[in-house]
Amino acid sequence: MNRVDRLLVVLLWTVSVLVVAGITHIAAILFYPKTVSLERFSQISKLAEPGQIAPLPFAEPGEQPLPFADPAVAQSICPFDLSRGGLRLHADVEAGRLLTLSFHTSDGEIFYSMSDRGAQQGKIDVVVLTPSQLELVQADDDEDNPSPDLRLIAPANAGFVIISALAPHPSEKGEARYRAQSVACSIERLAGS
Amino acid sequence: MKSLIVRLVPFAAVLAKFALAGTLGIVLGLTITFAVVSRGQGFAAIRAGPWTGWPRNEAAADIDPYTRAILARSGRAALNESEAVGFFAKGDSTGSEFDPACEYTIKGEVPAARYWTLTLFTPEGGLVSNQTGRQGLTSNELLRASDGGFEIILSRKARAGNWLQIGDLPRFIIVLRFYDSELGSPAAAIDTAHMPAVIRGDCR
Repeated sequence: MNRVDRLLVVLLWTVSVLVVAGITHIAAILFYPKTVSLERFSQISKLAEPGQIAPLPFAEPGEQPLPFADPAVAQSICPFDLSRGGLRLHADVEAGRLLTLSFHTSDGEIFYSMSDRGAQQGKIDVVVLTPSQLELVQADDDEDNPSPDLRLIAPANAGFVIISALAPHPSEKGEARYRAQSVACSIERLAGS
Repeated sequence: MKSLIVRLVPFAAVLAKFALAGTLGIVLGLTITFAVVSRGQGFAAIRAGPWTGWPRNEAAADIDPYTRAILARSGRAALNESEAVGFFAKGDSTGSEFDPACEYTIKGEVPAARYWTLTLFTPEGGLVSNQTGRQGLTSNELLRASDGGFEIILSRKARAGNWLQIGDLPRFIIVLRFYDSELGSPAAAIDTAHMPAVIRGDCR
C-alpha cells in the first residue's frame, strides 16, 4: 500500500464511523420522547383504571407528581382505553373558575385542550372516540335534537385526560382540588362495539 | 490446522475493525444526542428578553424532533399543559444567570391572560423549598400599585409586598405561566415589550 491508499482507507473508516454516528443520533432523537412519554403514561396508568378519575397530589417541594408542576393548580387524571368503548367526561363549570382539560395520547401527543370557557350552559360534555366509534354514534344522531356532546377523535386508543383547576388564592386550594376531582369520567358503551 | 488459523486472521482483523467502527459510531452518535438534548433549546423556542418559551402545539406531531426531544428530556413540556403557555427565565434581563445571593425585581407589563402565575423552580423543575412554604404567586393575589402595575421581589431575606423567598439552593429558575390567554394561538407574536423585566438588585 502506498500513502494515498492508506489515506483512502483511513478516510473510508472515518466516514463509516460518522455514518453510524449519524444514524444512531437520528434514531435516538426520534425514539427518546416516545420512551419518556410511555414511561410517564405507565406511571399514570398505575394511579387509576381507564374510565376512572384519580387526583394527583398538590405539588410540594420534594413530592411533585410532575416536573414544573404549578403549585397553584390542582390536577386529576383520567386514563382511557378506547378498545373498551368511548370515554365520556362531564363537568359542571362554575362561572369565573378556571378549569382546563387536556387530552393526551400514551405517546405524548396533546390532541385537544379546552377550558371552562368552552362550556355550554355551564356544562362540559366531551366524548372521546375512535373514528369507527364516531360513525356508530353519528348513525344514531337525531337531526331535530342535536347532541350537546363535543366529540373528539383520538389519534391513538390509549391515553389520558389531565383535569386542572386553578386556586387563585392559597386559601382556595381545597376548593380547587374538589373541582378537579368532581369531573365525571366514565366508559361510554356503544351499541355494536 | 495452522494454515486455517493463518487464513482466518485477516478476516478477524477486518471484523474487529468493523466492530470498532460500529461501536465508535454509536458512542459518538449518543454523545452528540445527549449534548444536544441537554443543552439545546430546539428550533421552535421563542425568546423574549430573559424569557424562553415554546409555541402551544409543542407536543403535537408537527413540531420538529429536536424540540420534542429537548422538551421531553427537561420535563418542560409540562409548561404548556392544561391550557397554559409557560416561559422560563434562567437569568435577569441583562442576560446574567440568577445568583441566589442577589435580590431580583420583576416588573413591567404582562400579556393579557385570565390568570398568570410566577413560580420558583430548580433548573430540573423541582419546587424550591423555603421557610415561607410558598413557591409561587398568582395574578389574583398580587398587591398592585394604583395604576395596576406590580413588582415581585425574589430574595433570601424577607421583603414587604409581593415577595418570594429564594431558599437555600445553588441555582434557581423562574417560570411565568399564562392561563387561558391569546398566546395559545400558533402564530401569536410575543412582544418583548409586553413581557416583564427582571432586574438585579443588591447582592450579599
